[in-house]
Amino acid sequence: MTLFSIARKNIRKNFTNYFLYIGSMIFSIVIYFTFVSLKYDQTIQETTESSNKISSVFNGASIVLMIFVAVFIWYSNSFFIKKRKKEVGLYSLLGVRKKQIGRMLFYENFIMGIIALLIGIILGSILSKLFVSILMEVMGYHAIGNFTIPLQAILNTIIVFIIITAITSIHGYRLIYRFKLIELFKAEQEGEKEPKSSIITALISVLLVGVGYWLALQNIFESEVWRKMGFLITLLVILVTVILGTYLLFSTLTVYLLKVLRKNKHHFWSGINLISTSQLLYRIKGNARTLTIIAVLSATTLTAVGAAYSFYYNNSSSAETSNPNSMMFIAKDKNVSKQIRERISRDKNHTIVYHMAVPTIMMDVDITNLHSNNLPNEMEYSIIGNKTFNQLAKWQKRDESLSLKGNEAAALEAGYSEGFSPKYIGATISLKVNDKSEKITFKKLKKYNVLNTPTAGITVVISDELFSKIASRTNIVDMEVYELKNEDDAKTLTKEIQTLLPKEASFSSFYSDYARGMESTGLLIFIGGFLGLVFLAATGSIIYFKQLTEATLDKDRYVILYKIGVNKKEVKKSISKQILFIFALPLLAGMAHSIVALITLSKIMQTNLMIPVSICIGIYVCIYIAYYFLTVRNYYKIIIK
Amino acid sequence: MKTILRAKNIQKVYGTKGNQYKALEDIDLEIKEGEFIGIMGPSGAGKSTLLNILSTIDTPTSGEIIIADQNIVTMKEEQLSDFRRNNLGFIFQDYNLLDTLTVKENILLPLALSKVPAKEIENRVKEIADTFGIQEILDKYPYHISGGQKQRTAASRAMVTKPSLILADEPTGALDSKSATDLLESLTALNELNHSTIMMVTHDAFAASFCKRILFIKDGGIYAQIQKMQNSRQEFFQKIMDVLASLGGGH
Repeated sequence: MTLFSIARKNIRKNFTNYFLYIGSMIFSIVIYFTFVSLKYDQTIQETTESSNKISSVFNGASIVLMIFVAVFIWYSNSFFIKKRKKEVGLYSLLGVRKKQIGRMLFYENFIMGIIALLIGIILGSILSKLFVSILMEVMGYHAIGNFTIPLQAILNTIIVFIIITAITSIHGYRLIYRFKLIELFKAEQEGEKEPKSSIITALISVLLVGVGYWLALQNIFESEVWRKMGFLITLLVILVTVILGTYLLFSTLTVYLLKVLRKNKHHFWSGINLISTSQLLYRIKGNARTLTIIAVLSATTLTAVGAAYSFYYNNSSSAETSNPNSMMFIAKDKNVSKQIRERISRDKNHTIVYHMAVPTIMMDVDITNLHSNNLPNEMEYSIIGNKTFNQLAKWQKRDESLSLKGNEAAALEAGYSEGFSPKYIGATISLKVNDKSEKITFKKLKKYNVLNTPTAGITVVISDELFSKIASRTNIVDMEVYELKNEDDAKTLTKEIQTLLPKEASFSSFYSDYARGMESTGLLIFIGGFLGLVFLAATGSIIYFKQLTEATLDKDRYVILYKIGVNKKEVKKSISKQILFIFALPLLAGMAHSIVALITLSKIMQTNLMIPVSICIGIYVCIYIAYYFLTVRNYYKIIIK
Repeated sequence: MKTILRAKNIQKVYGTKGNQYKALEDIDLEIKEGEFIGIMGPSGAGKSTLLNILSTIDTPTSGEIIIADQNIVTMKEEQLSDFRRNNLGFIFQDYNLLDTLTVKENILLPLALSKVPAKEIENRVKEIADTFGIQEILDKYPYHISGGQKQRTAASRAMVTKPSLILADEPTGALDSKSATDLLESLTALNELNHSTIMMVTHDAFAASFCKRILFIKDGGIYAQIQKMQNSRQEFFQKIMDVLASLGGGH
């Protein structure tokens, strides 16, 4: 019997033991392969106009995925090897040479790697087809081409995984050399000591997280700290304090709190609490690192997915904010304007809701009086009269009107952001026309515009008297605005009109902004969701594996309890409680971290991320809870068996 | 005297038809309150099977067992747990202490499970710790104390609920002779002073000589029974040796 055949037999006979390991390898391969095959896919590269951008995003994400997959396989490999130490020890005891055992483990791991690779690529081929259609759907393309598996993807996956498998196999080969025989037998019964904790480290942990949160929640544009430390350093400080704080929180604060709980005899000496609390106390310190990793992974996942989904979710409204009119352009040529009107009127799907030629004065204005650090001294403003504004505002269903008198003015800035934009109200600037200047003073600020920002930029509303006074001395341009029905699928119409107009017309449309947004945010959410799912699956599996390993160790304890007269219901209750703690801690920490990060993000973006973020967290929590119940069930099964 | 345990025609058959093996055959047994009874016999005689059945961890194939006026054969899983908790105390050869709990917490565990008030728990633990002389080590963890101390802790845990019947499975099996004597003396004291009822399975004739009555089991049936009566421990030990010699086989 050759070593190779022993190794092959080992796998066949103990398939259930190997199943989890092979399963997690297959999972990793499927994910990686699917992702890479999307990257090389023709349909995607042809259909998207910005394929350069897409492929660089895919490249970046596939590197992240590769690192992650390698770490994940490494982790399951060590878990798997730990379970087999005893078996390896037995071979050694029976007189098999170290070299032979090492070679056997190497072959074994390599066979499994190859099997997993084959299955992974086959499954991945099927799944990537599904993913292409999902990607096309979220990006707003409805045409799905013929999807073929790119050869490059297969080659790429094979190379990456052969390397990973080779590394883990060598790791397995070295196992027998790394431990003494006695250590192999005692693999799972290393003594546990009661964890120590001090109130000081417990307080430090809270302090660290607090500092990180405080920094993150500062107003980035105005904060002294951010300015003094610099943007990147501050970010780094936040990351380090929060991660370190989380670790200390898990390793000492929880221990401290559990010990306080333990001193409360009425609670602690009551039923199964005695068991679950002391079990936790023993386990928590060894778990602190895992819990921290999970908390950080959860926070990253939630933040990334939350942010991506928020962009996607807000795409329509942000396109609406910058394009309150479906289409807008500067009318320079009467014939072209007429052509366009006719073209639009012909379209049955996109009937006109309103149409107007907006008399506008476009003017370069000296804005040194606005005292803005971020802007140049001169800016081009589009100036419209009070009446025009009121008309447009009414059409756009805004319940607001202006009544400006004399030299009063109102600024309309759709992209207004506190700290970045100038403080308009109260400031006086002068409008120069043919050497004569008119001073205007800002009385009002609106954080929206009634004209499309890409065409008109920042708009200033002035009183009708002043408007006609200035208009008599300079040229007025007409800005044509159209509001159409079904503006979000006006693809052909938009394209045709665009070809009719010269570049100087500064044509802007809701549709083109919306479609561009869909394309990039759709990609973001797809990659975010993809990585998010992978991370979630991984975090869930890490806790799951860890808990099941502990279940085998805890089994003896529960046997004792059973003999003393603890019934199954109580055992189950104790297990549920104990595992709940392990699951809930990192989830809560991760959620808190990601919420802080997203609050900061929503401040920078000036949008409310409440709904999309809640949806993301909701889904995450649901899947996480499913993992919890799965773990409790299997833990219980191991104990009761 | 009140009868604590009455077992009638206990049978335990392993295996399926055609390949049956009778571990216990028609065992009748009665234990009265305040007894200290020993079960002896060679390996494979059925001692452990009998103990497991009496301690409700295993079920007999047929027969009737009544402990503290309750028929344990017809009880359901849940009821059995409660029954064990309230009426039985266990001492095992390998102590079976929980290493995540201190000595004190190990002792009070059964009381906590029965939701006895904290104050009452405190008193009872103190009382039992005095009896077994382990006040000093109450706050230590099992891996910090010696085997003898562990077994006294286990015995304290078994006694603290004042159970109707204490079942001891080779309690001195892993102890040195000094610790074994200490433990057996403590058990005897509890038996005599508190009228605790103890049933002890043992290999060791010396340990058995502390009992008041000894049942010998061979091939699944009761082979002999001897009483200590007014004999000294030395004489009783001699009697035990004689029976064992007649039993033959390794024990």
